[in-house]
Amino acid sequence: MRIINNMTCDFCKKNVATVHLIRVQNDSVEKVNICSECARDFSFFSEDDFYKDLSNILSKIFQSDQESIYDSRTSQSLASIDIKKNKSCPFCGTDLKSIKKKQVMGCPHCYGEFRSILLPIIKAIHRDTQYRGKIPEAVPRKVKLEKSISDLRKRLKREIFIENFEEAARIRDKIKQLEKNIYE
Amino acid sequence: MNEPGSLTPGAEGSSGSSSQRSSIILSSRSSISRNLSNHKFPSSCSGEEKDQLIGIIKNSSLKAEDLSQLCFLKLSGMTKVQRQVLLSDYQIDEDFISSLSGRAIMIKPRTSIKEDALAIPLCWNDHLKIQCAAPGNTIGHVYEVVGAIEKQFESRLNFSFSKEWGYLTSSPASLGTALEISLLVHLPALAISPDIAEFMKNLSKIGCTVGGYSSSSPEVTGNIFRISSSRTLGKSEEEIVEEMNAICLNIVDEEESARRKLLKKDRLGAKDNVFRSYGLLKYARILSFEEALELLSILRLGLDLGIIGKIRDFDYFEIINMIGDAHVISSFEMGDRATEDEIDLKRAKLIRDSILED
Repeated sequence: MRIINNMTCDFCKKNVATVHLIRVQNDSVEKVNICSECARDFSFFSEDDFYKDLSNILSKIFQSDQESIYDSRTSQSLASIDIKKNKSCPFCGTDLKSIKKKQVMGCPHCYGEFRSILLPIIKAIHRDTQYRGKIPEAVPRKVKLEKSISDLRKRLKREIFIENFEEAARIRDKIKQLEKNIYE
Repeated sequence: MNEPGSLTPGAEGSSGSSSQRSSIILSSRSSISRNLSNHKFPSSCSGEEKDQLIGIIKNSSLKAEDLSQLCFLKLSGMTKVQRQVLLSDYQIDEDFISSLSGRAIMIKPRTSIKEDALAIPLCWNDHLKIQCAAPGNTIGHVYEVVGAIEKQFESRLNFSFSKEWGYLTSSPASLGTALEISLLVHLPALAISPDIAEFMKNLSKIGCTVGGYSSSSPEVTGNIFRISSSRTLGKSEEEIVEEMNAICLNIVDEEESARRKLLKKDRLGAKDNVFRSYGLLKYARILSFEEALELLSILRLGLDLGIIGKIRDFDYFEIINMIGDAHVISSFEMGDRATEDEIDLKRAKLIRDSILED
């Protein structure tokens, strides 16, 4: 839903906010006011989204929280794998049937090969699918930067969600800076 | 309530000032699992392939100064008693010796239980598991030791890592940081209080797993619980360490409050129990490991609460590490044919000699 009035942007506190997002969820009302300049700054808003449909932006902001809601119906074990369409990993030869039976993967490549099957199981076990740990020294600088940026984007969404716009603006600047670094 | 006095040895590294703290938090352990990229996980390797992997890891360690001091052992080359002593001394889960072929371990030799127990089981569930345990609340310390060892390996081996899911392990349950922090805690008052069920429920709610002293059985003996972090995805290493530190303080608080309640509610009953345990430990001639653990737990509680004096102070954790079957057999050089009664007889004597008689 879009509401227009004369308010300043929650991020830069300078420009007039031209975009006002309101959402009612259960009993709480969330509101974000953004000027068009700031809105474009946030790299998770693609330009297309911005002009096409603002509710897309909103759904992106709140999506991360929706995703983290734990679905207790999903099974937490490899035993729940559906082996009707059995396939095997080209690197180690382990097939889904054997993974289901032994409850372990065959090799690191299995994770890539069976990604879509594993995703809901991993989500059910850890109640999260985002890795936030350290990155090995050997991983190239670019990958590390990309990882930091994606972590920051997640934090940015969280800050916006709790309406901590000052911190969000700080994170946005940090993201911009890192993005510049990647291509240097 | 009487003050426990300046008892409790082995409190080095304990984060708290309370002398009770180290008798509640017996030990802290940190472990990380790693696999070499472009190699199959151990469970899908042949014996030969596992030996090859062990060779690669062993060779990589020879060139690193910090690692070359480690002692390399093959499980198949050890006696049953040696393996049991190893598991107990280095706090390794019993599942490690469920299969002997193609499994090895690197350990840092030590002379006292107060030193770090650093061990690296090879080709267990994953190619390497780097783990370190130390007495008391030493979470930060054991975490750092493990990290330093990992760094040594990391510069020589290529670990399998995915940008999306972090360090890849044979089981999806441990991928990510592949870090587990666990605590061995002694909760004699909480264990008999009605609050214990709620306490355990809350621990599992925040993602901890709770077990007993023996990793092979779910039963709790000697009021010892193992509380481990279980989620490895969605949290950074530092967050996991921080959380377990907070949980650790919470556990101490809960146990201390259960102890206060116990004294308030039934001081005489508690005293009676402590002295009964003392009597059994002093006069029983055959003591099973489990019975000894239960009795020593109550006696330790008696010392902590100041309701029994005139006996030598002892470190509960140190004692339980001395009186397991394998330790009794090896310290009395009893050989393979020792009967249960013979072991129980020696155990009873060992306890009397070390803590009850001057």
